[in-house]
Amino acid sequence: MGMNGGGGGGGGMGNACYVYPGAPATPGRVTPDVTFRRGIYMNGSMTMDDGNSVTIWGFTDLNAGQGQMDGMGGGSFPSPAMRVTEGQIVHTELTVGMMWMHTIHHHGIEPSTENDGVGHLSWDVTGGTYTYQWQPKHAGTYFYHCHTNTPLHAEMGMYGGLIVDPKPNPNDPVGTKRAFANGPIYDAEAIWAADEIDPAFHTLPWYAGTCGGDVGLNNLNPRYFIITGVDGASSALTHPGVAVTMPLGQTLLARYICAGFHPQKIDFGGLTVSVVASDGRPLPAAWQTQAIEAHSAERYDCIIKPTTRGTWTVTVQFLHWRTGAVMGTARTRINVT
Amino acid sequence: MERRGFLKAGTAGFASLMTGTGLLSWSPRSEAATISKTFYITAGTQTMPDGVSVYVKGFSDSAADLNIPATPIICQEGDTLQITVINRLAVTHNFVIGGLKTGDAPLASSGDIAAGGSKTITYTIPTGKAGSYLFYDNKTSYNVFLGLHGGLAIMPAGKTDELYPGSPKFKANKQLFWIFNDIDPALNRAVQQGTAIPSNFTPRYFTINGQTSLPPGAAGFDDPTRDAMANPMTKLEGIVGDRTLVRMLNAGMCSHAVHTHANHMEWLTDRGTVRPSVWKKDTLHLRNKLGKIDAIFPFEAPPDAYPPVTHGHFPMHLHDEMSQTAGGGMYLFGAMTEIIYK
Repeated sequence: MGMNGGGGGGGGMGNACYVYPGAPATPGRVTPDVTFRRGIYMNGSMTMDDGNSVTIWGFTDLNAGQGQMDGMGGGSFPSPAMRVTEGQIVHTELTVGMMWMHTIHHHGIEPSTENDGVGHLSWDVTGGTYTYQWQPKHAGTYFYHCHTNTPLHAEMGMYGGLIVDPKPNPNDPVGTKRAFANGPIYDAEAIWAADEIDPAFHTLPWYAGTCGGDVGLNNLNPRYFIITGVDGASSALTHPGVAVTMPLGQTLLARYICAGFHPQKIDFGGLTVSVVASDGRPLPAAWQTQAIEAHSAERYDCIIKPTTRGTWTVTVQFLHWRTGAVMGTARTRINVT
Repeated sequence: MERRGFLKAGTAGFASLMTGTGLLSWSPRSEAATISKTFYITAGTQTMPDGVSVYVKGFSDSAADLNIPATPIICQEGDTLQITVINRLAVTHNFVIGGLKTGDAPLASSGDIAAGGSKTITYTIPTGKAGSYLFYDNKTSYNVFLGLHGGLAIMPAGKTDELYPGSPKFKANKQLFWIFNDIDPALNRAVQQGTAIPSNFTPRYFTINGQTSLPPGAAGFDDPTRDAMANPMTKLEGIVGDRTLVRMLNAGMCSHAVHTHANHMEWLTDRGTVRPSVWKKDTLHLRNKLGKIDAIFPFEAPPDAYPPVTHGHFPMHLHDEMSQTAGGGMYLFGAMTEIIYK
């Protein structure tokens, strides 16, 4: 694999170093079964429960008319989720203006080098469109994120959920939802991407630190703790996109994504969950637990079937990577009616 | 003050490691043997990617070397380890081989090794101790962070392809260590100058087997004596089917999330305990406080490629992305190596 571009000492794109610009044709390109078209936004914001706002970057869904905002505006946070069925050939088109560089790495998906979205082993997309081509073989929970200056870009919010559904089982009633082929059936679903935000990172330019100099990327001191783009201080307790309300008798599949950089511990408020898969692979045997310790980018698929009506508070503790101290918590709820 | 002038970590230290394939080379024996090794505790400086010079110490192969981590030791159950440690420095140190599992007593310990002195430990490895071990200095809580650490691999007797008897198999001789460390130069400076040890650490440099990655265009890129992406002791290189055992040891301050691209890993042990079943994971939680993990990188064709591929270049990096930086910036100059499908 050739090394593209090269960086030392500045290089063309603002003040960025060690970036590898490119947007070539996709090797072996074929007609896909599904296409996602992503632009970027670099001036979004998220208002926290304390009234403060932080700048957020992310990906836009061009198919949904969200536009290629580049530096001009905002978009949804987390970025629009991708949902595909195992075996489909997928195209992820990423369009980036000439003022920026980004990639999409489909975390846990394992494609060719060219389609892995790692800038220094392929290219950082700029001034055009690159189409990532991949074919997921394993159903499960994944996420996608930018892999350019990752400590900054992922912290800024450049990630979204990625769900690979199993192929429908012809013996199942239409509409049956399974976690993976021949896996457990579920009725309700939650995607909990737990993340921490250090406002000090959220004032930096996209290339911060790439040419050297101390911009603090080694030292993430979060002040806000969120679940799937919602402040976990209080809003996530009731936000309909995060909190779950379901009737007694239904089964919930909670897809927990450790989307931050520090370790976490998720506690299900006294509910025992059945962990059936992790990182997009079924476990050999389901693991019964009331809490999970995870580290950055791990995913755990949890089957939850409450036996009584009630409300359970799910708490994510964010643990300092060195001291293990609890830096903060984010909470949501499971309401069984 | 140290007894001798400063050494420079780098080429000299790695020269002895650059022979052969780079992987841990191992030939099983039907008879037990005595494995003799002498380490010299030496000190010097290591230049970080941003040019900052950091004071470090190591268990080195000679008085003129500065090896971080120490040259690994591989042996088998039944062997006798005879390790002599010569302290070339002016402060007391020690040498311990940590226990197999969390909470286990050390396998062996030298006790204090006075300035200028030496100690020899002799330890015959009983059956049941196959696994991965960190040896280190625990005279203080922070000596391990300075570089005084290395890896010991104990093979099941007579085996070439198992971590423990009956474990999932890897390809014979396809095994290596990933030893992670996190460096706060304020600590190293305090040790060097004999001033108060900081009560709080903020690491600024992150290494794998004593090196950081260096991206294309950087000085030292692709130099195996400098670039963790290119060091044969560190990078994974093989063809489809070259199942490789990775013995991950955390000598550093921080918990890490070890993420491989291209393949999920088969997770065999956590902190020395064999997992109840083998999970396939693309990200593994490697705890601090001397955490360790054994996993097999299966070198299967990347499953989600279309068209299918059997060649390529991929990273293994820590997903706690602060660790991918140096000196507060410099993304791509952290604890990362390369996975190469030849």
